[in-house]
Amino acid sequence: MTAIRPAFWALLAFGSLLLLGGMLFTNIAERRSAQTQLISHGQRVVADLALSDLALTSEARYTRHPAITDAVVVGMDHPGGLDHFPSTLFFAPVR
Amino acid sequence: MDAPYIGRLLNILDYALSSLRRKLLKNFGVFTVFSVVIFLFSSFQLTSRALTEIARQTLTTAPDITVQQMSAGRQSSIPLAAKEQLAAIFGIKKIDARIWGYYFDESNGANYTVIGMDTMPDHAPGSPWPGLSEGRLPTAGETGKAVISAEMRRQLQLGERKFFSLFRPDLSLASFETVGIFSKDSDLVTADLILMTMGDARNLFAIPDGLATDLLVQVGNPLEIDTITGKIRDKLAGVRVITRAQIQKTYEVVFSWRSGLGTICLLTALVSFVILAWDKASGLSQSELREVGILKILGWQTGDIMLLRFFESATVALFAFLTGWLLAWVHVGYFAGALFRPIFLGWSVLRPDLAMVPPLVFSDVLLVFSISVLPYLCATAVPAWRAAVVRADSVL
Repeated sequence: MTAIRPAFWALLAFGSLLLLGGMLFTNIAERRSAQTQLISHGQRVVADLALSDLALTSEARYTRHPAITDAVVVGMDHPGGLDHFPSTLFFAPVR
Repeated sequence: MDAPYIGRLLNILDYALSSLRRKLLKNFGVFTVFSVVIFLFSSFQLTSRALTEIARQTLTTAPDITVQQMSAGRQSSIPLAAKEQLAAIFGIKKIDARIWGYYFDESNGANYTVIGMDTMPDHAPGSPWPGLSEGRLPTAGETGKAVISAEMRRQLQLGERKFFSLFRPDLSLASFETVGIFSKDSDLVTADLILMTMGDARNLFAIPDGLATDLLVQVGNPLEIDTITGKIRDKLAGVRVITRAQIQKTYEVVFSWRSGLGTICLLTALVSFVILAWDKASGLSQSELREVGILKILGWQTGDIMLLRFFESATVALFAFLTGWLLAWVHVGYFAGALFRPIFLGWSVLRPDLAMVPPLVFSDVLLVFSISVLPYLCATAVPAWRAAVVRADSVL
């Protein structure tokens, strides 16, 4: 009996990972369709209440409503006050 | 491509895999660290992609135009008389005034967003508004009624009680009865919201009659939004006019910037890993040199040995890429990016129940592949060449 060559096992392992990925993405696709329903629900609420921002982070007013509060936030709370909130660490100036 | 050529490649691959197995501990270490680096990169990128997507889709129904009064570079209240001035602009369908603001709850450190509206959403008579999980909306003319989120009810420690109080600016208490609870499904936009009538909001924030926070303009034809925006600016001095497109663009910029900077931070990890890979690959032991020497005596060419080393690196890199990338999808899709949530959500006390399912975008995959696998293959190529050109008689 000839021994099974290592390349076979490697390709088998690689194929199994791809298969696992395929199964994962099938499930992710189902979850995305569930999320679509959530988003359409959110769209209705946004439209009815005329909301402009996501309630992701409410640590400061300019992180709660980045779209409609002042564009320049540094020094907004206190003269010379640095913008110190974690979620604003990576905020870009909106042009 | 003929069969002998493929057979030769398979033979070299076999040898490369056996070689990897002989140095199992070292290669497993490289694989683990590489997988973790790719996992971190991909997770950050997927989290950012998912949030951008959620913002883009959810805010497609945001107000057409929001008009705010600016004074000395900051937002101030806008006179309700501005509504009459704008009503004359052709193409405007509807203008609603609104009062909204923030309320900081000192007892728990939470920031609430208070919205006061006179026109409550339309819904079929007899059936509740779909944005609520229980109760009803306040009706026009009612006082002291509010709708809050389930998370807020928990933070306010209301339990089964319906009444809560908020401080006015003069520190007198304004009492509210909870008549409705926002649905969990809309948590992403209502997690910190207190909805009440405009009169109640005016009373809570002590805003005089005749003033509002902003005006919401609905336009008949979406193609005319930019033209109408210009007309509004001409009619009202010192106003800021924000369109829906600008709102959506803000979120794209915010998340892509965060993602970009996060990626730059994570590049340090990648560079460290590439240095490690270079070091591991270039530090040839005596036994590895002997191996190259024996292979050359057996008739292997420099190109064959280069190919052997490439197969070794590619096997580790591809397995690490797939493992790290798939784990990132599990992390973001099933655990809502738990590791990076603190960066994206900050120190908020009220946090929405967030489910993130990012889309599969080819450019994202290509980006992660390009900044992880390709540098690794390059880092191992030069040491592989240096090992392959060793003269057999100098090492045996």
